[in-house]
Amino acid sequence: MIMTTYAFRWLVLGLVGFVVFGMTACTRWIDVKPPSSGLQETFSRSIPNDERVPLVMDTFRLSQNGVPQNPSSDVERRVLNAVQETRLFSTLVPLGGTPASAGGKTVTVRLTFDETIDPHAGHTALKGIMIGASMFLLSPIIELDYDYTAQARLELQRWDGRVTHYEARSSGTAHYNLFGASPVVIEELKGQVMETCLNSLMTQLVQDTPLYMASKTPLPASTVHTVTVKARRPTTAYTPLPTAHISTTPAP
Amino acid sequence: MAPGIQANDVSPMITVGTQEVGLTAGYMLSHRLTELHTTKQHGPALMPSWMMTLTDPIGDSWYRGQVSIGAEMVYLQFREPILTHGIGITPRIKYTFVALGRLRPYLEFAGGPFWTDLGGNIDEQANEFNFVLTGGVGVSWFLTPQLAATAGYRFHHISNAGTAFPNLGLNASLPFGGFSFYF
Repeated sequence: MIMTTYAFRWLVLGLVGFVVFGMTACTRWIDVKPPSSGLQETFSRSIPNDERVPLVMDTFRLSQNGVPQNPSSDVERRVLNAVQETRLFSTLVPLGGTPASAGGKTVTVRLTFDETIDPHAGHTALKGIMIGASMFLLSPIIELDYDYTAQARLELQRWDGRVTHYEARSSGTAHYNLFGASPVVIEELKGQVMETCLNSLMTQLVQDTPLYMASKTPLPASTVHTVTVKARRPTTAYTPLPTAHISTTPAP
Repeated sequence: MAPGIQANDVSPMITVGTQEVGLTAGYMLSHRLTELHTTKQHGPALMPSWMMTLTDPIGDSWYRGQVSIGAEMVYLQFREPILTHGIGITPRIKYTFVALGRLRPYLEFAGGPFWTDLGGNIDEQANEFNFVLTGGVGVSWFLTPQLAATAGYRFHHISNAGTAFPNLGLNASLPFGGFSFYF
């Protein structure tokens, strides 16, 4: 009877210890720092439908740790979705798309998106060795980190040539224990940091709502440019070449 | 190969937190390193394992690779000098070279407690409770982004860390092959 009670007590203690170990070793959380643009408040502006103009994605540059990457359609879509939520523009034309004419007034956007990733690889490898050497007993108390920073720059060019720059930067860190590591945590971190960054960027954009209202600024007057191209006379020419006159008219 | 599918399509995207479950099997062949070693232990080995990728690829050259850590269970059947068995569980650390796409060589090291009833029945080892240390090289060939065939070689050492005497240690080569699943 005494032996049974003793064994039961140890069984319960063992189970509690196992559960506590499992829960603490699977812990993970994400810290996202506030964006660096300083604009935190949410602005709300309304704009009549007939005042909206199309927004056309002109260029999109993506880099990771300073190295240029192929443009990601996911990032582009996410930025365009954020712009769409502001209701500032009538239509959004992605990269390579053709804008439908709206009285000739369009806003073109050039987007630059820089990602900085610091997985603390060296520290993580050392911590991994320590965790393994301890037969995983240290896994609940050794914390692993993964840093991600997103910096977005928008350059909006109005139909009259006026260019306005917007910039926002946000960063965050995923903290996790060994058994809490998962690609999902990293995706969550990137998603949250990007969301914070885009919110800041859109706040700046909404503040400038009057800049992008169709009635505020007329289209620049159409002008006809005449360019004269004169072919160079070859030294061995037998007949004189005529002078060509080419007229170009900018698209309305 | 199906139309439109390139060789690179099966290159795995292994990131921080990617887990690997593997099963390898091999055959242990003894090395008698001194004149005092007389046991010709040999037999099959079975090694199920679990690994967690700890880092994104490190480095920019041929040595670009990832560190992963995990645990492995090792079962050995000794067919000589008498039919006995051994079982152990070991933490395992692995460095995988990623520069070659779907072909991924790796270095590995593992060590941990090991119980075998061969101990006490041979001149080299006095007791049943021992430790196993292994180090080796291998290569994984990704058949799909999530499934890889693996082959490699390990040097295998069993001893009791001086907890009993004699403690000459048992050394062996262990060529192995198997499969790993990544998720």
